Formats: sequence, structure tokens, C-alpha cells
Amino acid sequence: MSEGGKASGERPGLLDPTDLARLASLDLRARTIVEGAFSGMHRNLHPGTSVEFTEHREYAPGDEIRRIDWKAVGRADRYYVKRFEDETEMHTFLVLDASASMGYRRRGVSKLDYAGYLAGALAYLVGQQGDAAGLLLFDETARSFLPPSTRPGQIREVFRLLEAAQPAGRTDAALALGHLGELIDKRSLIIVMSDLLDSEPDEPSETGPLPGRLRQLRARGHDVALFHLLDPDEVELPFDDLIFFEGMEPGDARTLLAQAPDLAQAFKRESQAFRDRWRAACLEASVEYRFARTDTPPTEVLRAFLADRQRVVRL
Amino acid sequence: MHFLAPSLLLGLLAAALPWLVHLIGKRRAQPVRFAAMQLLLRSEWRISARRRLREILLLVARTGVAAALPLIFARPFAERTTDLPVASLDPQSAVIVLDDSASMSRSAGLSTMFERARDRARALLRQFPSDVDLALLQASAGSSPKISELSPERARVLEALESSVCSARPADFASALRSASLILAGSTHAKRRIYLFTDLQAAGWEAGTGLPAEGAPEVIIDDVSGAARWENRAVLEVSVVPAPEVGTGGIAVDAEVADFSAAGTRALGMALKVDGVSVAKGFVDLAPGGRSHKRFLHRLTGETGGAHDVEVEIDGDAFRLDDQRLAHVELARSMSVLIVNGDPRSARNEDEPFFFAAALRNGLPGAVVTIKLPDDVSPESLDNTTLVALLNLAQPSPAMASALARFVSAGGGLFISVGDRVDATAWNERMAKLLPQPLGLPRTASALPGQHAGEIVDDRPAERLAPIDRSHPLLANFPERGEGLVSARFFKYMLLDPAVEGPDRSVILRYESGAPALVEKQVGKGRVMLLSTTVDREWTDLPIRTGFLPLVREAARRLVGVTGDEEAASLRAGEARTLVFTGDEQRLEVSRPDGSVWVARRDQASSTRSVLYSETDRLGTYHVRAVGPDGTVVARPELDFVVNLDTRESNPARLDPSQRPDRIAVASPGVKPPKHRVELWHGLAAVMIGLLLCESVLTLRRRRI
Repeated sequence: MSEGGKASGERPGLLDPTDLARLASLDLRARTIVEGAFSGMHRNLHPGTSVEFTEHREYAPGDEIRRIDWKAVGRADRYYVKRFEDETEMHTFLVLDASASMGYRRRGVSKLDYAGYLAGALAYLVGQQGDAAGLLLFDETARSFLPPSTRPGQIREVFRLLEAAQPAGRTDAALALGHLGELIDKRSLIIVMSDLLDSEPDEPSETGPLPGRLRQLRARGHDVALFHLLDPDEVELPFDDLIFFEGMEPGDARTLLAQAPDLAQAFKRESQAFRDRWRAACLEASVEYRFARTDTPPTEVLRAFLADRQRVVRL
Repeated sequence: MHFLAPSLLLGLLAAALPWLVHLIGKRRAQPVRFAAMQLLLRSEWRISARRRLREILLLVARTGVAAALPLIFARPFAERTTDLPVASLDPQSAVIVLDDSASMSRSAGLSTMFERARDRARALLRQFPSDVDLALLQASAGSSPKISELSPERARVLEALESSVCSARPADFASALRSASLILAGSTHAKRRIYLFTDLQAAGWEAGTGLPAEGAPEVIIDDVSGAARWENRAVLEVSVVPAPEVGTGGIAVDAEVADFSAAGTRALGMALKVDGVSVAKGFVDLAPGGRSHKRFLHRLTGETGGAHDVEVEIDGDAFRLDDQRLAHVELARSMSVLIVNGDPRSARNEDEPFFFAAALRNGLPGAVVTIKLPDDVSPESLDNTTLVALLNLAQPSPAMASALARFVSAGGGLFISVGDRVDATAWNERMAKLLPQPLGLPRTASALPGQHAGEIVDDRPAERLAPIDRSHPLLANFPERGEGLVSARFFKYMLLDPAVEGPDRSVILRYESGAPALVEKQVGKGRVMLLSTTVDREWTDLPIRTGFLPLVREAARRLVGVTGDEEAASLRAGEARTLVFTGDEQRLEVSRPDGSVWVARRDQASSTRSVLYSETDRLGTYHVRAVGPDGTVVARPELDFVVNLDTRESNPARLDPSQRPDRIAVASPGVKPPKHRVELWHGLAAVMIGLLLCESVLTLRRRRI
């Protein structure tokens, strides 16, 4: 995991989140992430195949060579790849938690910013492949919803919504996913990004209603991936002094005065158990679970995500 | 509690510092809006109990450290009154006499009486002012002084005191006080005192106080028993005698048990232990202050000829040392003697083996004696025999000579006596390898110059034995001047032809003329002994002398290669044992009950070839072995001995007050008891170090919660 986040000689596109934040627009950031992630690997987000040919699409770097239609190349002197029914029917939903807790930041970028980078990169990738990408921003309710489409300007709209998103409100991911389940009727790839904080009941051994919602989505044939995003402070509690902790979300009156170093070890254990619980819940629901700290280069997270997906399909 | 520098107690205000730091620290907490409050609160909930306890402990530890520092610098101390002698506060010369006799080893609560005495002596040493000259003695008989000259070095005396241990010796206060007064005689101080720490048992005062009549130093007795009476039961005596009626190896163990109490003892348990294993038990009733005897019969088993520790033990009491008593017996190998009668007579007392067989039967009760005529002896009859005696045999047949040669080489013993019937030529021819010296011509004393007057038994001219040499093992147990042997008269004996001197041959007894009387020779594993006269009264009156029986018994034992079926010497703790070198032995080694070994070299021995062993401090069996010039080690079981307690130590009777040598009491009425200052800062410093360690550990652990 990159700590400094500066581009290295070997991986020029591997910028850390702080460096990415200096780039002018989300469009540029998304492209940077995608280009970094796809240096030397295939970029297809939907690797499924079908025997039923539907249309041609112009070749884009990352497409499999074997899918180039050489006859069409001979006729038009341009590179085209064949598209099949499976690919053209797949929609991608980017579901982002935009509650107040996602705005926590002490160093680097906030979780919401980080989720925006990842979501932007994925949207850019989907758009490049000519697929339909949609967006859902939620807190206690579905705050913004952009249905998936392949129309020109869709990806720019996605970028605009992501850049405009501000952390606010309490979290209710289960409600938002329930709402999403009612809206989509076609088999889709649903990518959820959340810190999952306060999605659990007070009983530390349970994970609340969210896993049930994820199972429902899977039961309806959707492909679901969950990006669990946490700030480094929420993994290690690296404070050095006496701290007066206050809750972030509206109506959260919880406070704690503590010598942070005293709590650090116990907090680490608790945070690890928290992630383990969610990993187990996702495994049980057949949902892909990916944990990411906000000091990790998004390129690395995206590359691992895509590589795993391709590996799964090849197996 | 008092303080040498009470003004420094102002520093106690520093104890408030940790509290102030705690309160100030609370105010400057940094506010942070944090998303993972749920995780944080769960962590806090898990560690809150431990953390709160640790924080309290940390606060207490830090406060304690801050408070301890000014307390230590203020030098706190406490004053305690002491029951030690007031006289100890004067400048003086003092000899501390510690009673380390056996009775002081009895238990007194959780410690022993000796430990109590040592504790009191230690406290006294610390109480003395700095300008006191000190010496330290022990009161047990024969003990060497711990510090025999007056010394102002208290640390040295304390060290010597700590190294002193209780002995098993009896007390000898006269010697100890005499030594103490001699040490004090050279003192420059006007006040000279002896401090005696004892239980005031009467035993040990039999020889008086040992103090000079004039100018004796003051004696102060600290009765560490607190004048408390103690009751005791003891085994006073244990003796072991053969008990053939029980069978081979049978012994009778007689024990005398005493009661030293006002109420007596009913059904006191007794046990007989052989080699540490209890083999018989019994009970005995004892009247108040009474004594009782108990006999145990037991048959010793195992290897014949082995040594055994026989112990009688009674139920334990506070004084454990006299609850058992030890004897050590060397069990004779069962002896089977074949006597070949070369000159049978019809009158029993004229018969050749009459005196010899009687001496064997009485001297060795376990011996089986068979008498045969020469014609009845076959080579096979030697198979189950350990000793063959050829008495006035005319000549051994060639077959018999060969059988005897094999018999002796294999470890058998052969005793030969001569007489009128002996054919010297035939003997020298057939028994040349076995005879210690070739037989020569018979010689009568009438041919000798002079006669010995004063005998009433026989007026014939006679010769006597030369003075005996007790260095020979066979004669080691005879009286020094050989009483019972040197009075014997020899009217006739057989001269022995010269033989080549060698380590395998030795002359045990000689006549006054220098002619050999009793000669021995080692042949193979066995031994041959030749007496150059008769064993009946024909040539000598030796058989009717008192020395004849022990001579025959010892000769038989030596020929068979065993020592007696007898109890080894028993010494009292502290008594010395004389050990005699024999032959060409170069070293004698004494193996003590604790396994350590004491060594005496030949060049340390006196003109009588003896050394004195006096380190008999431990109760138990002491084994002796000899080392030859070539390094061979052989046991000397006849020198083994056991050390038991001096029975005087068992008697708890207290010394009569009229015989006490002290002239001032420990606690004089009307005199204010002295106060002893106890420094407290050492303890406080230890507490502070402990608190610092706790603080460090708690601070380290804080990171791990």
C-alpha cells in the first residue's frame, strides 16, 4: 500500500488520493485512475460472453484482441470488436453513501471524496465500453438517483453529481438499497461504497438489516460488490493525547473523553472485528467484499477489483 | 515514629503533584468529531474497568513515590524497648558464648532453641555501642572457638555468628567459660563480661563454672528457653548380641528407653530398623522419670558377611536427636570348620582337638565344627568347608595335599598345628607350597638357658612369647601388653626352617628366643596359618590360658576372611577414636555419615602407628578403609564405629539456681529497659523502589490495552 502516494517509476499512474485531489476535475482524475489501473491489463468490466451477436463497436485499448472482427477491419480499415447480447444488456449502478460520517477527514481525503474517485473511474470505464452507468447517492434516503443510460453526456452527469455531493445526514444503507431494488428491473452490476458505520445495531455481534438487502439483490440476479471504505484513523486510532470525541452525524449525541493511546489497541481489535463481520456477512450473501483505506491509491484498489473479477470469470 | 530532619516533611506537598497533573490534563482535552463512535465506545466499554483500575493504581503509585522521597530524607526511625541485658549498653569487653550442644537442637515453635539463641545473640550484637571489643565462643565439648581474640569488628563477629550451627556434642560450660575468662583477661576495658545464651540445662555444668576464684568476669545468662520446662523421651542404650536360637544371622537387640516427664508415657511406640528399614515394632510403658528395656529378636538376611546398621527408634518428640540410637554390626560369614584329629586319644581332655574345638564353639557361636580322623577325610569333604584345621597330623596323603592346595587357592583357610606325630620331612615334601615356613626339628625348652619360676601348673623348663605386635590385625583387639598370651608357657615347639621373606608371609607371634610361633602365608585367595606347637597341653599350657580362645577365634576369622559377628565400637558425639595403621597401609580414610571423607596419612601417625579421629559431630555410622602403597583400598570393618548422642543431653533437668554463675540478672527490677532504635528509611526506600517499578509496568501496559 502506497504511503506517500507519489507516482513511482514503475507505476506512473499510481497516484495517492491526496495527489489525485489536486487534479482539476473528476473527469481527469477518473481517466488517470483508469489509465493507471489498465497499464498492461485488460479493462473489460463485464467479461461475460454470449453467442448472440448484436453490433460492432470501435476497438478501445483494453479490449480482448480475440474479439476484433478482422473481416470488418478489412472492409472499413478500422478496428471493430463484436458485441454480444450479454454485454449490451448489462447496467452498472454506482451506489454511494453520502452521509455525514463519510465526510470524516483528518489527513488526506474524506471517504466521500475517495468513493467519488472510485465511482468516477468506474463510470468512466463503463462509458468507455459503451455500457450504461447509473448513480445513487444516499444517506437516510435516496438523495440523488441517475438511471443508467448509454446516451452521450451520461458519464459527465455522473461526474457532476459526484463532484456536487456533500456529506450530510444520517446513514441508512439498507433503506437505500431496498429502494434501488424496487427501481431496477434488469440484471445489473451494483457497486456499493460506504463506511458501514452505524449500519450495525449496538450489539457488536450483529450486522443489522443491510446484509439481508444485499442477499435480496443477489437473489434477483444482480451482481453486487461492496467497497468498505474507512479512514486510517478508523482503523488504528493514531491519536497521541487526551481527546474529547464527538459523534459526526446529525442527532448523534455520543461523546467520549479518553486518553487515545490507552484505547488504541482495543480500538484496533474492534475495528478488525468490525471488518471481519462484514467480510463474513458478504461471503454469506455471495457479495464481493473489498476493504479500502482512504490513504490507499484508488488505482491499486481498482486494479485489484478488476483483476479479481477477470480471474473469477476465467475460472 | 520520629524523624531526624522533620523540616524536610514539607516536601510531602509534592504528593499533590500527580493530582494536579491529572486535573490540568483533563481540561486541555482536544475535541475531535469522529465517525466511528460506535467502535470507539465498544473499545472503551471493553477496557474501561481495567483502565480505571490501572489509572487509580498509577495515581496511587505516583503519589506514593512523591510522598516517599521527603519521608526518606527526613530519616524516620522508631524506638522499641528490648529485653536484652541492660549491661550491654556500657563500653566493655564482651565474650558471647553460644550454647550449641545437642539439646539446643530441639524444636521451639517454628524454630529451634539454637536458632532462638542465635537470634538473641544477634540482637545483642547490634545493640552494643560501637566501642565494645567482642569475641565469640561455642559451649559444646571440644568445639573450636569462632573468634578467640577480642575484636572491635562487629561485622566479623556477626558473620561468625551466622555461620555457627548446632552440634550433636554435649555441653561443656566449664571449658567454655574458662576460655572466655582467659580471653577477657587481656582486655583493656574495665568492664569485662561473658554473655551466655543457653537453655540452662543442667547437663554440661558437672565440672562447675570453670571461672577463676579471683577476678572472674561478670557472667550474664540469657535463658532462651524462658525457664519453660520440657518433657522428653529418649533411647539411652542399644546393644546387639548374637541370637543363634533365632537361626543363622539371628541377633537380639536390647534397647533401654527413658522418660523425662512428670506424667510418664503409656504405649510409647518403638521400632527396630535394620539398614533404614523398619523390621519390628512394639510398645513400652514408662513411669514418670522411669526407664524400661525392650528386646527385639531379628534374623539378618541378605549377603552373609555384610555390615548392618541397627537402629531403635521411638515416637518423636521435640528433641529428635535422642529418639533413635544406632548400632553397627558386622555379620560373620557362616563358618564351617573341619578339624582333622591327627592324634586321637580316649580321654577327651587329652584329645588333640579338645581345646581347639571348644574355643571355636564358644568364640564363634555360629560356627559348625566337624571333627574327623585322617582316614575319614576325602577331598570331597572339603567342598562345604570354610576352614580346615590339621592338628598334629603325621603327614597328609598326596591326594589330600593336592585337595588342600586347591581348597586354599580358592579362598579356604588352613590352620596347622604340630606335635609328636608330625613327620617334618613328609610335610615339607608334600605341602611345600602351602607351608608358611618349612618344618624343622622339635626343640624343648630344657635346652634353653634359664628357667622361669613362679608357675604352679608345671615345673618343666618353658619358654614364653615375645611381646606381641598389635599392629597385626589378628592381635589388634588384644590388650596392649598381650595379657592372656604372654603368660603362656611353651615346653616344646618345632623350629621352622628359614624361608624367603615376602609380602605374602608374616610372623604373627614369636617366642622369646626369636623363633616363630605363629606364621601365616597368603596362598591364592586363601590363607594358611602354622602354629609351631601343639593345641593341647602336651607341649604348652597355651590352651588353658585366657588368650587362647580369642587367639583361636581371631585366627579362624582371619583365615576365613571375615570379621566378627559383633557390634562395632560406639562413641558419644565429640569423643575421639584411635585408628591404628597395620602392615604397610599408607592412608586411612574415614567415611562420615554425610558422605564426606576424612583422610590420615601414615606420616601423621604417632610412634604407635595410630592417629586420633575427633570429628565425631554427626550421629551415625563411620566407615574406615585403608589404602595400600599400590593404591589398593581395603575395608577395615574392625575399625568402623558409630556415634550416638551423649545421654546426658536427653535429661531436661534445669541447672539449680544456686549453681548459676551469673551475678546480675538480665532484667533488673527498677532499671529502665533500654530502647533500641529501628531505622525505617530502608523500608521506605524499598517501598519507593517497588512503587517506581509498579509505575513503570503500569505505564508500559497502558500502551497494550
